[in-house]
Amino acid sequence: MRSLRGLHYSSVARISRCFVARWQGNVIRYISISINCLSGSRRFTDKHEWISVNENIGTVGISHHAQKSLGEIDFAQLPDVGAVLEKEVTCGALESVKAASEIFCPVSGKVIDKNASVEQTPRLINSSCYDKGWLFKVELTKPDELNRLMTESEYETFIKSGVYK
Amino acid sequence: MAQAMAQNMFRISQVSLNNVVRCNAYAFAPATSQAKAYSSASTTDKEKSKNPIQKSVFISQSTDIFTNLALEDWMYRNFNFNNHHVLLMWRNSPCVVIGRHQNPWVETNTTNVAHQGMEIARRNSGGGTVYHDRGNLNLTFFTKREEYNRRNNLEIVSRALFREWGIESVITPREDIVVKNTYKQISGTAAKLGRPNAYHHCTLLVDVNKVALRQSLHKDDKGIVTNATQSVASPIMNLCEINQHVKVERMLGAVGWEYLRTCPETLEDGGQDLINKQRGFQLINPTDNWFPGLNKLKEELSSWDWRFGKTPKFQVNKSFRVPKEFLGEGEMGVQELKVSLEVNKGIIDDVTLKLPPGLLSTNGFHGEVDVVTSLRGQPFSERAVVSLENALHDMSTKEGNLQGKSQFVMNCMRQVMQSV
Repeated sequence: MRSLRGLHYSSVARISRCFVARWQGNVIRYISISINCLSGSRRFTDKHEWISVNENIGTVGISHHAQKSLGEIDFAQLPDVGAVLEKEVTCGALESVKAASEIFCPVSGKVIDKNASVEQTPRLINSSCYDKGWLFKVELTKPDELNRLMTESEYETFIKSGVYK
Repeated sequence: MAQAMAQNMFRISQVSLNNVVRCNAYAFAPATSQAKAYSSASTTDKEKSKNPIQKSVFISQSTDIFTNLALEDWMYRNFNFNNHHVLLMWRNSPCVVIGRHQNPWVETNTTNVAHQGMEIARRNSGGGTVYHDRGNLNLTFFTKREEYNRRNNLEIVSRALFREWGIESVITPREDIVVKNTYKQISGTAAKLGRPNAYHHCTLLVDVNKVALRQSLHKDDKGIVTNATQSVASPIMNLCEINQHVKVERMLGAVGWEYLRTCPETLEDGGQDLINKQRGFQLINPTDNWFPGLNKLKEELSSWDWRFGKTPKFQVNKSFRVPKEFLGEGEMGVQELKVSLEVNKGIIDDVTLKLPPGLLSTNGFHGEVDVVTSLRGQPFSERAVVSLENALHDMSTKEGNLQGKSQFVMNCMRQVMQSV
């Protein structure tokens, strides 16, 4: 536990605010987390992509397991904005020293945005695959497809089973 | 040469006749029935233990790079590799092959390569640029995605070299094959991973024309700024330089047999016993009859859009020193004309000319700038150079001799376009 003495004032304020929130807002925080899970929780495919949906817009990326097995990514070829994709169809590729790996779209939809930072700096996928290393955003045309994808815990079990590399 | 190759093929077929016949029965059934068998169902553990993995060696009879790349792609997309691994061996007439995310204008001089009658092809796998000719043997190892193992494949090649000719080789951490004690590469490798299939392919430099190789892969500084994957140049050598008896025809057999006798999971040498359980060698004639849809793949792979249009966005920046006689009175020092082209999907998106103050004059540059900006929307190719030249020619016929300054600017533009 770091001592608060000697820290910059704003850092001290932040830490103390954090404590207060945790102490008083425990119950409220718990509920807000649950709501987030319902709207923005991640779902996974057996091809190691994840999708997180908010108001029918899904953000797609690859899982930690995938980025680790690919190695350092040197090039990301992402789908063009406006492309209409079907579920499980190839929509791009990630190139590392080891190989060019295909990206498959987890759901059907239209691409509305792609991550230009990742195109510029593909290593973002390795360092932050769930956050800054997102790949593209898609407007879902068949939201029911989400139900057939794995939840986070199902995906963890899937990886541990070692059936698929 | 062709006769010797045909005889060698016959020798392979004779020796593994039973295997080839067995192979014909179901691996080369008419493709329509095969298409039905191509499910993407995963192999369960039960299936795996019941049916051990069997191996086939396919040898393509085509030497056209686009046909062979199409065949490789066809197999990756359509073939069922459940309990069946395939090694495809192929050779090409002289050509240059760039990696999927590379820039052909960076990696090679496209005009020179075209003048030598060679094609530039873009493959589907990653990696760098290579030169192919008939002294180079290409090996593609096909498996299901979860059985992909690059190092094992290279180990098989390494063993074949030793068994046949006593050549000792090492697999580097970058997973290239290098001759022991020389650090010279005799093989380059690349791979493509998808679901359910994956492949790893590598080249083997048996007896390649090194002069042609060096000329076609020669890179000048063309002022191109890009985030496309760059090739890593490595010193290379031909296997025939180590042992004069190494020939491509014999290499086909050496690697093929080693592949068949090696156990896929454990890399154990199973000898003749294991070979007898495999599906053996098969000569492949890559036509649309045997592989429906092959012609369409070949068309896509040979299209300008795939080979050049797939290039990631890039910028060409060049500076030219302005001769003193064009600078205004009183202008001192070195002044430069800067030309910048933005190319996206192989099309010139934007042209920027930065004119130094000395070049700006009362007559202005309007006409000339129009000519330059007419490059916008043109494919970044010889066609654009030709249209620029035509436009210049039209201008000089209309207005008499172009002013010296304008001529200079136009020459600079021409140099930028021709240098790549």
